[in-house]
Amino acid sequence: MKTFKGGFHVPDNKALSDTKAIEQMPAVTDYYVSLSQHIGKPAEPAVNVGDTVKEGQLIAKASAFVSANIHSPVCGEIVEIVKRKNAQGSVVDYVHIRANGKQDVESMPKLDNPTAEQIVQRVADAGIVGMGGAGFPTAVKIQPKDEVDTLIINAAECEPYLNCDNRLMIERTEGFLQGVRLLAKAINVSNIFIGLEANKMEAYETLLKSDGVVDEKAERKDGDIVLVLLKKKYPQGAEKTLIKACVNREVPVGGLPSAVGCIVNNVGTAYATYDAVVNGTPLYKRLMTVSGRGVRAPKNIEVRIGTPLSAIVDFCGGLTDDAVKLISGGPMMGFSLMGLEVTTTKTDSGFLALTDKEASTVLPTSCINCGRCASVCPMRLMPMYIDFYATVGDYDKAVSIGGAMNCFECGTCAYVCPAKRPIVQSVRLTKSKMKEKK
Amino acid sequence: MSTYVYSSSPHIKSSATTKRIMIDLCIALLPACIMGAVYFGWKALLILAISCLSAVAAEWVFLLCCKKKFAEIIREFDFTSLVTGLLVGMNMYATSKWYVAILASVFAIIVVKMLFGGTGKNIVNPAIAGRIFAFIAFGAAFGGTFCVNPEAPSVSQIDITHTFQAGATPLGALYNPNLQNSLSNWDLLLGTGVQGCIGEVCKLALIAGGIYLVVRGVLNFRWPLVYMAVTGLVSVLIAWIDGCNALDVSTPSFVAVEFGKAWGVFLPSILSGGLVLGAIFMATDYVTTPNTKLGNYIYFVLLGILTAVLRRAVKGEAVSFAILLMNLLVPLFDLYIRRRPFGYVKAVKEKKVKEAK
Repeated sequence: MKTFKGGFHVPDNKALSDTKAIEQMPAVTDYYVSLSQHIGKPAEPAVNVGDTVKEGQLIAKASAFVSANIHSPVCGEIVEIVKRKNAQGSVVDYVHIRANGKQDVESMPKLDNPTAEQIVQRVADAGIVGMGGAGFPTAVKIQPKDEVDTLIINAAECEPYLNCDNRLMIERTEGFLQGVRLLAKAINVSNIFIGLEANKMEAYETLLKSDGVVDEKAERKDGDIVLVLLKKKYPQGAEKTLIKACVNREVPVGGLPSAVGCIVNNVGTAYATYDAVVNGTPLYKRLMTVSGRGVRAPKNIEVRIGTPLSAIVDFCGGLTDDAVKLISGGPMMGFSLMGLEVTTTKTDSGFLALTDKEASTVLPTSCINCGRCASVCPMRLMPMYIDFYATVGDYDKAVSIGGAMNCFECGTCAYVCPAKRPIVQSVRLTKSKMKEKK
Repeated sequence: MSTYVYSSSPHIKSSATTKRIMIDLCIALLPACIMGAVYFGWKALLILAISCLSAVAAEWVFLLCCKKKFAEIIREFDFTSLVTGLLVGMNMYATSKWYVAILASVFAIIVVKMLFGGTGKNIVNPAIAGRIFAFIAFGAAFGGTFCVNPEAPSVSQIDITHTFQAGATPLGALYNPNLQNSLSNWDLLLGTGVQGCIGEVCKLALIAGGIYLVVRGVLNFRWPLVYMAVTGLVSVLIAWIDGCNALDVSTPSFVAVEFGKAWGVFLPSILSGGLVLGAIFMATDYVTTPNTKLGNYIYFVLLGILTAVLRRAVKGEAVSFAILLMNLLVPLFDLYIRRRPFGYVKAVKEKKVKEAK
């Protein structure tokens, strides 16, 4: 089984929801759709207050090369454009749409046997972004400047608790595989890998039954999709570690995957591409895992973008009394939430409510220099020095000795730390201080 | 006002804590302490108790002087001082005077640990420093290697042979062919009939503790093994060179003969003295070892060489001094041995480019 050096086996807690079939989240009345759900410039509103919009209608246009379109999740009326806090805590523009109960759907024309240019254009029109969490516009990603020979689909889903990619592969196998092929066609590559962790054997076997999907050892024809079974280890699903495990190439420091001829896309992104090209549906719904022992009935749901979390929590039976921490995303890299006022975005792969037994609330003590952080760091950095120098305020050394700028904040170091040092926080502090300097 | 915990990711953390690691260390040290008590009697137990109590008391008193509240001290007590106290006690002799144990513990905690910033900030291993403090400052009251053999015929004859017979460790026989060594490797392993510090006589108990630590994930099994193996190999080499020097060069094939004989030193050199205790519990102290894998390999290989050479040269407290010296070099290791990050690209040196132009 393939993997990378470093990392740590984090208990995955996927059993809470891994057998739960995808359910449709019923419509609510009020939707708040964020205008910056992606990396890059916020989208510009294309509708006015008081307009009536159909489900799937364009409501905000990409404002730059690195930006993405946004479509209405529901048929209704634009009430206002307001500033609200998003999950990360920053204030951004939101479009408030009130559903009018109608079912009018506006979709794009279906494409039959599209060319590479048509696929790229459709991906841009449908507003598809990386759905693993980062939210980088996919249309930009699949037009790389470097020579690319490999497409890797990130199905590792190494974040504990999350199951939405897993369920998608099991229940919507055909659409997912078509999406993968469409992406490969857009990039014009014939080496296609799907990397998935060994805790998703059901998805692995389901995929293997399909035509043109082979496992690593089997002989493969040109254009076959190769399933790579990866060791269950966090952070297996990080872009760089996934490339290392699947094709044994190391992305250079500060470089993009395309520097080693690879493009990595998420399972959700592949499915969204299929939906946009074959069905003509833009991206306004996504799969999401609602889990954690603080949620009464954990579920995998298909939810419209802009749905308030409070409605989702109600749909999942509400929170238990001992829930102490709310998280948007996974427990390792997600964002802690102040409350349930935020709404879902294209990048929300999960919502978790953790009890005090699950969430760590232990206070940090002093570093005992055990070196566990360094031994698990997938980027081979020196987290103890980052934390030390950031704590004493010497940010230059945190960068030169610790290597803070190469960190992608997976949090494995902070997970294993016996002194419970807030290492990731130190990394973020260092990064923001270095930004200020520039 | 939010009632939810709000923090930076990751939101889940492993169950490992500093306290848990230190409790594991205490558990791992227990078998050796018990065997020490079995071999040396209640006196050994008393010394252990005294040093543990005085180490913990020293830490608390120091923190109280720093105006910390007592309740807070109790709540934040992480068992590090107990480990230090236990190790200091294990490094005493059953014949050591009670005040030596107290002073060594207090020195280890106050001077070596607290004055440098407490847990995780000590520059050398506190227990090693405590032992060397007692060895240098008290000599006879500490007991051990250099106590004078009262049965020596005259003062001039108190030579190495005699001090070693009276001394604590059977190491003397390794390098002194005149000395009859009645101890087998089994005796050394079990500690039967071996003189020495309370905690270092029964190697089997120490190894059992070490295995427990490896299983619990506290200790990396590589480092003690590297340290002990290198010490053994260098001892063999030294014994061989000594043997060659003693022989007439004209003797044919002396190399083969002596080298085969010298291998006999391998196991005794590992199982004698404080090497096992030092290798498993003191040289591997997290705080005073390098942070990189390569650094650790170099560190423990050098430590092994230094120990073997010191044993040959000064004959006494070799392990302690070797660890102390190497501890002081750790900042240099950390400064010069860096590991390359994932996807490291060799930086083109700007100076050279300019020169080329």
